[in-house]
Amino acid sequence: MTDAACTVFVVDDDPSVRKGVQRLLRSAGFSTEGYTSAQAFLDGHDRAVIGCVILDLTMPGISGLQMQEALADSGSVLPIVFLTGHGDIPTSVRAMKHGAVDFLTKPVSDDMLLGAVRHAIERATVLEQEMREKHDIERRLATLTPREREVLTHLVRGRLNKQIAADLGTVEKTIKVHRARVMQKMQVRTLVALARLVQQAGIAVDSAG
Amino acid sequence: MTWIELAWTVMASASLTLAGIHLFAWFRNRSQRAHLWFFALAASVPLFSVFEIFAIEAKTPAEYAFASKWAQVPLFLIITAFVAFVRTYLDAGRAWLAGGVLVTRAATLVLNFTTGVSVLHEEITELSHAVLWGAAVSAPVGVLNPWFIVPQISNVLLLVFVVDAAITLWRRGGETARRHAMLVGGSLVLCVGIAMVMGLAITTGVLRAPTPLTACFFLVVVAMGYELSRDLFQAAQLARELRESERRTELAARAAELAFWSWDPTRDDVWMSGKGRELFDLDPTVPIDRAALLERIHADDRDALREAWEGALRERGAFEKEFRVVLRKGGVVWIAVRGQAEAAQAGDRSLLRGVVLDITTRRRLEHEVEEQRNELAHLSRVATLGELSGSLAHEINQPLMGILSNAQAAQRFMASEPPNLDEVREILVDIVEDDKRAGEVIRRLRVLLKKGEVQHGLVDPGDVVGDVLRVTRNDLLNRDILLAPELAHDLLPVFGDRIQLQQVLLNLVMNACDAMTGVDRREIRIVARAVEGLAVEFAVCDTGVGVPPADIERIFEPFVSTKEHGMGLGLSVCRTIVAAHGGRIQAENNAGGGATFRLTLPLAPTDAK
Repeated sequence: MTDAACTVFVVDDDPSVRKGVQRLLRSAGFSTEGYTSAQAFLDGHDRAVIGCVILDLTMPGISGLQMQEALADSGSVLPIVFLTGHGDIPTSVRAMKHGAVDFLTKPVSDDMLLGAVRHAIERATVLEQEMREKHDIERRLATLTPREREVLTHLVRGRLNKQIAADLGTVEKTIKVHRARVMQKMQVRTLVALARLVQQAGIAVDSAG
Repeated sequence: MTWIELAWTVMASASLTLAGIHLFAWFRNRSQRAHLWFFALAASVPLFSVFEIFAIEAKTPAEYAFASKWAQVPLFLIITAFVAFVRTYLDAGRAWLAGGVLVTRAATLVLNFTTGVSVLHEEITELSHAVLWGAAVSAPVGVLNPWFIVPQISNVLLLVFVVDAAITLWRRGGETARRHAMLVGGSLVLCVGIAMVMGLAITTGVLRAPTPLTACFFLVVVAMGYELSRDLFQAAQLARELRESERRTELAARAAELAFWSWDPTRDDVWMSGKGRELFDLDPTVPIDRAALLERIHADDRDALREAWEGALRERGAFEKEFRVVLRKGGVVWIAVRGQAEAAQAGDRSLLRGVVLDITTRRRLEHEVEEQRNELAHLSRVATLGELSGSLAHEINQPLMGILSNAQAAQRFMASEPPNLDEVREILVDIVEDDKRAGEVIRRLRVLLKKGEVQHGLVDPGDVVGDVLRVTRNDLLNRDILLAPELAHDLLPVFGDRIQLQQVLLNLVMNACDAMTGVDRREIRIVARAVEGLAVEFAVCDTGVGVPPADIERIFEPFVSTKEHGMGLGLSVCRTIVAAHGGRIQAENNAGGGATFRLTLPLAPTDAK
């Protein structure tokens, strides 16, 4: 994934900072979108777009930290780079704890800013990749019948066909057929690959236990 | 020598002596005409007495006729002088009565020389002789002149004139006027009465006695002389008291270091006491006019003084001014002048009169106090800005951030193939703007931090509020405080130092912020409005914890603070600044919580530059 495919959202009430930062990002090949307030960003940005936010800490209305919380509450994983005129330690600690990628103090040089943005976009890309894979696995999982899902749960816990048949009150042959169907639907060849997929999807396998 | 001769001689010489004294008094002071008339009266009496003695001792009717005829001349003089005296000295008597007396008396004089042997007798046939207390007395026997009635009319008019004048005087009231009425009026009425009755009796031969007119006139002379002499003595007394009073004034003036001056605009002549000349660094003897005086005054103060001076002259009012005099040996003296225009004695010419006072020491002390006040104000300002330093750094960092990002973006645009010059051009425009903005922030800060002369000028209330909003903007954001300025659109400028006024408002806003720590609703309203076209009021209203009621009266005193770590200087400095601007500052708690601080400043005078 290239940088150009990502968007950097710049949220700052100060037009000269906003314009300058956007220009710098553009010169480095990023595409950018500017917002004059946190509210405008929350209302207006496209949630499907991959990228990161450069966020001013102090703004009229909703502050940077409040916006960070609001984003997290809405389930967004958009990485945030904070930009502040005067950073104090408690504020920066709070921002980092809540998952900020970086906390930069104005004026900040291009290396620092672009570095932070690249870092954030990397994270965004990774997160995006993980999300996509997870979605993919979940989609595959959704094709399983309740019985097959039951069998899957037992399989990833490392039980043998015989044991599963005994637990489910059926014959080993039937379990064998179910097992082949699960491996096919989940698009894996080995039991180890199946276990990794389930772990990636974060499905609680104990539930059926 | 008979007793009559002796008595008449004594009276004549006494009268003559008095005449001499008052002639001298008149010479000394020509404006006092009463002395001249008294002289005429008193000098005519001896003349009259000569003719009267001559008549009393006449041996033949012809002698008697001669004496009584010529006696009318001094009599005319006496009565004329007398009427004039009453009119000038007593300032009483009706003019038409006086005219009547004089006209009939003049007619008497004419008839005296044209009819009969005199105005009294057509013919004197013989003399009757009698002896009165051992002295021979002649009395005429003969035919009365029919014009005899004219002098009698004149006498009656004189009597009426005198009585009327005496009544007028009496009514006028006052001790002096009543004494005049009693003495002069009484003696005259007595004299004229006796003279008329006895003259009539003797002339008609009813009474054998010497005519007593000399004695009567002498009585009048003594009465009038007494009054006039009293005046002379009083004048001497007044002169002594005046000298005394002058000495006292001089002493008081010297103690207060006051100097006197006066200026006569028609002659353009300045009189000034020795002390005044010293103050103005003028030689003790050279004559001074206004230009010479203004010459000594500092060029910057000259016009204002001239204006005040002319204003007082024009309106016949008072003026007060403080100005500097430049000494010839170098250095400057501060002088306060107070003057008053007043009408001079003659006519309606004006005269300016007043005092000057050396106020150099007072000025110096005032200056020192002002310097200390400004120093304290400066320290307080620096402390306030210290509290704001974080926010102020932010204010500078914003444009710096803009500049840096733009510049580094430009480097990249230049490095690309082909260079993106359109972007670079736009960037340069923005960099210039940001640089100006940063410069402006620094300039504003420098102004607040600078320890300079206080510069009074016209200050727009909206600008003051704007300055404060710019400086506190970021701090308010950080503390999540909402600030709403409400400026009336019809605000007129106030006169003062913009920085100090900004400081006061800044202090009030910062206090409001501090008062709202930990309060849920955090709002500040700054309301600027005109008060009755005389003043501008700034109200800073917060939703904080308010001022403890016990402290609200003393919150402006030094070292009184309601904050945990407050020094208690901010508000006391505010009050000092506001007082120096002729305004006032008050605190009150709001009904719905929080406090309101009101700052009232008088509008700039319309002629302020």
